[in-house]
Amino acid sequence: MGGIAVFLALIMVIAQRWLSNYGEVTININGKRDLTVTGGNSLLASLGDKQIFIPSACGGRGSCGACKCKVLEGGGPLLPTEKPLLTKEEMANDTRLACQVKVKSEIKIEIPESIFNIRRYHSEIEEIIDYTYDIKGITFKLQGGETIDFKAGQYVQLETQPYAKIKQRVMRAYSISSKPEIKDRIQLIIRLVPEGICTTWVHKHLKKGDKVDFTGPYGDFYLRDTQADILFVAGGSGKAPIKSMLEHLKEVGTNRKMTYFFGARTTKDLYLTEEMQAFEQHFDDFSYIPVLSNPEAEDNWDGRTGFVMPYFKEAIRDPKNTEAYLCGSPGMIAGVTKSLVQEYGLDEDKIYYDSFG
Amino acid sequence: MKKTPIDKRIMARMKAGVLTYSGFLGKDNRDFRQIIADDEMSLEKLGVTAEEIADRLEYFQQRSFSAFQGSAIVDDIYEVDTEVVRGYLPCPFAHQGVYRKSYTTIKNTKSGKSFTFSALNIHLIRDHHFFEGRGSHFRLEPHELIAELF
Repeated sequence: MGGIAVFLALIMVIAQRWLSNYGEVTININGKRDLTVTGGNSLLASLGDKQIFIPSACGGRGSCGACKCKVLEGGGPLLPTEKPLLTKEEMANDTRLACQVKVKSEIKIEIPESIFNIRRYHSEIEEIIDYTYDIKGITFKLQGGETIDFKAGQYVQLETQPYAKIKQRVMRAYSISSKPEIKDRIQLIIRLVPEGICTTWVHKHLKKGDKVDFTGPYGDFYLRDTQADILFVAGGSGKAPIKSMLEHLKEVGTNRKMTYFFGARTTKDLYLTEEMQAFEQHFDDFSYIPVLSNPEAEDNWDGRTGFVMPYFKEAIRDPKNTEAYLCGSPGMIAGVTKSLVQEYGLDEDKIYYDSFG
Repeated sequence: MKKTPIDKRIMARMKAGVLTYSGFLGKDNRDFRQIIADDEMSLEKLGVTAEEIADRLEYFQQRSFSAFQGSAIVDDIYEVDTEVVRGYLPCPFAHQGVYRKSYTTIKNTKSGKSFTFSALNIHLIRDHHFFEGRGSHFRLEPHELIAELF
């Protein structure tokens, strides 16, 4: 009886090895480039092995929906794990989650060309600044003479190391807050999230000199090269990409009219105020306008209060020649976009945003 | 009671450091099925269902979304704030779907008592009757919710 069980187990192991051995398969990208990979892994992992990094905030667990790409052939049927994260339109146009698609045979995919600029970087923590009680600015110095090219407004994905009771690595996305002209280091602004695995690591464990890997740059939230007036609107750690854009504009020079509304609850949530005031001194036509929703009595706040939207009328002189750059919660993005389009007459296609979603 | 493979998978996802920093069980030594059973028993005695509690929490959360920049005053006595941060969380019960990382704090200004819950908490209560283990960061005591929010 025991012998039969051992024999059957052996057969199963051999069968599994034989059945899951897909050999070498080809991934065709955008009809232009073929990659040869070992079959059987996820599309996300297979591309990652070839230094092509599709965005993924959950590390391939199928929970974030960030790794969407078009699979034109060879992806197999749409899986139940993908459906909740795809719209009907996406399902109809062959969009899939790269982390869920297994590469078992020849496969044809379409990804944005900008993804080829995404790389993995090794860095060392150079500086950690406490901006508020729950927001830190961290500078990552690239190692081995590496440099990074990005557009002001884009983000990277930080990879955590195992720490304390955390045994596995996670990846989380953060906007770059430094200017793209600095290529040998980046700064990120990171807010402590309750129970957050990555933000707890950053806030409680990360120290100067630590080695950290990240991939990037990602995202299509970046400053457009036009002469239109600019309205920046941000809240919380949404200040990071706007800081990068302002530092970039300072570097390249501009005479565009720019107004920056920063929404916060109380004065203790305000940060980088002196830096923003310095931009007011530098640019010909730039105003920084913090708006507090819940100032406390001891704040002695005599600035603007309530929602940011009513104050837009101070800043918009020609709605058809105004671009808006928004960064914050989905509620803020939706509320501000609605106001800009319906009340102030901005073109919706000139409203660019990075939603925390 | 013997654990099924599914139960083992759920327990693994509830541990500290898998989906959240401290996990979903806190210092509670009970099995998650027992935590659910005990809370269901409490709810039965109190005459309120888990679905009703989830609906009530969602009501406050939705009202505060409209005041995205600050506190919303709901039903005259509740001060409600919701913070939304980047990203989503999956459910430890390992089914499809993810939940936005949003954290709502409700303060009953009459009693001074406050509660903080996430979007995932609403789902866990409504669909799994799971209020988390005692000592976990987002544990919500059913009797306190009923006393303060209804």
